[in-house]
Amino acid sequence: MYEVLLFDGGVYKINELYELIEDVGGFVIQKTQVQVQITVTLAIPEEERPAIEAKTVELGGKLIDVPLAGTEIAVVAPTLGRHHMPHPTCDIAEQLRRAGAITVVMGLARGKGRRTAQISADEKAVIEEYDAAVFVLGNFKDCILEHKVKLFEDLEVPVVAVCGPEIDDLPSCEGLVCGVGRKVERMRREEEIHKLEEVGTTIEEVVRQKRKELDEDPLFVHPAEIKDRIAELEEVQRSLRPAPIVLHLDGLRVKIPYAEWKDQIAAVEVYGRRLGDIADISDSRLGGSTLIRIKTRAEVESG
Amino acid sequence: MSEHDESFAYQNFDTILRQMMQELGVSRMVTNYRIKAEPDAPYFLISLRLGKARASIKVSDMALVDASPDGGKITITDENWAPALLTRLWQQYGRDAVEQLTRYEIIVHGATPEALSSMELDPGEELRNHVLDAVWRIFPEGFKVRHNLVDDQVMTILGTEHDLKEEWIKIAEDLHEEMHHVKEED
Repeated sequence: MYEVLLFDGGVYKINELYELIEDVGGFVIQKTQVQVQITVTLAIPEEERPAIEAKTVELGGKLIDVPLAGTEIAVVAPTLGRHHMPHPTCDIAEQLRRAGAITVVMGLARGKGRRTAQISADEKAVIEEYDAAVFVLGNFKDCILEHKVKLFEDLEVPVVAVCGPEIDDLPSCEGLVCGVGRKVERMRREEEIHKLEEVGTTIEEVVRQKRKELDEDPLFVHPAEIKDRIAELEEVQRSLRPAPIVLHLDGLRVKIPYAEWKDQIAAVEVYGRRLGDIADISDSRLGGSTLIRIKTRAEVESG
Repeated sequence: MSEHDESFAYQNFDTILRQMMQELGVSRMVTNYRIKAEPDAPYFLISLRLGKARASIKVSDMALVDASPDGGKITITDENWAPALLTRLWQQYGRDAVEQLTRYEIIVHGATPEALSSMELDPGEELRNHVLDAVWRIFPEGFKVRHNLVDDQVMTILGTEHDLKEEWIKIAEDLHEEMHHVKEED
């Protein structure tokens, strides 16, 4: 299984690191260089970690675990009103970003209230595009158990619910963190920071589980391998969006319009095959983006 | 009664109300409060006992008033009162008659300097708005159907999602009455 790590160090002899990553069969997911400092997000087979650690020490850098790198996670609040936003929704999103995830914060159009709380088919479809979703719920146990749970009961992506009251068991979600509730200020007290860490570890566990499931029927190629090839497309290079290509556990989101670029994306060559043959390419619900879901090895070989 | 233990919610609402009032600078304005919530019903009820606001102030105590060719000219010396003064002038003389030259200077067409000097500003209204703002901020967002009981001392607001029931209004009225007799901060 691949392990995702973050190298934080200088640019001196950084090519040696890139070569080693390639030699052990890993990939560079992202490079961010600021003058002579560089951070490199990399994915390597987990048994090769000691080799990378040794090289990091040699280069005088640090190796940081980023368990959520290569994932895109939606943090969903019942509405965008100040009753649910920005705290603690944004604090949770920030915590996930620190662990390496790309996050999106989303408020539902009609998620407020008790019996009136609802989620539309469109909103569900948007959330389904992500690797996992965190639902940030409120204070009343009755409201959460009887009504809010319906917001995520039909979702297929793994869901982690974050709420105020202590609840033993909540149906339809893969993880549950209690003791957060409504906030009117940032979560910066010690116990609140521990709570944020708890949310982080719960999501990590959910993502680890999903990775394991994917490994049982492995993808034809790792999304990071396709990333480099797609990054060569002219439109991607021209894109001014901060992360034009975002990795998912089972594919990628490329932030260029599907209608105009679907043929060029499908024509990208990966190990002698067209990308269109080894992946499902579809339009994203978020405007101007294209979703690529890589087929499993079995799917490709049988097709 | 709800079959679930809602102690977390009560404690949390207590904290957020305190923090919200502090943020809006009206902590001293509210001397006591009660929150009752019944998520099973559902209704949410909040009652606040209001303290005394600052005493009213004359315009001559917070600004210099001179005569000008077609009315009175006010030069504000204490800017804290500027919003309240402007609102009051607009109410009394209309927006067209009030001309704001700079941050501190206002000309009021058709007003005598004497009338302007003796005008009184009551901070109570503004603070009441702040308190109301704090209540809206903590009130559950979906509870749009509301019933208000407001007088000089107590402000009680009841909210629900669908129809308001008579029995809840009665509970609100009882709490409103009770709040008139509670001691400060018990």
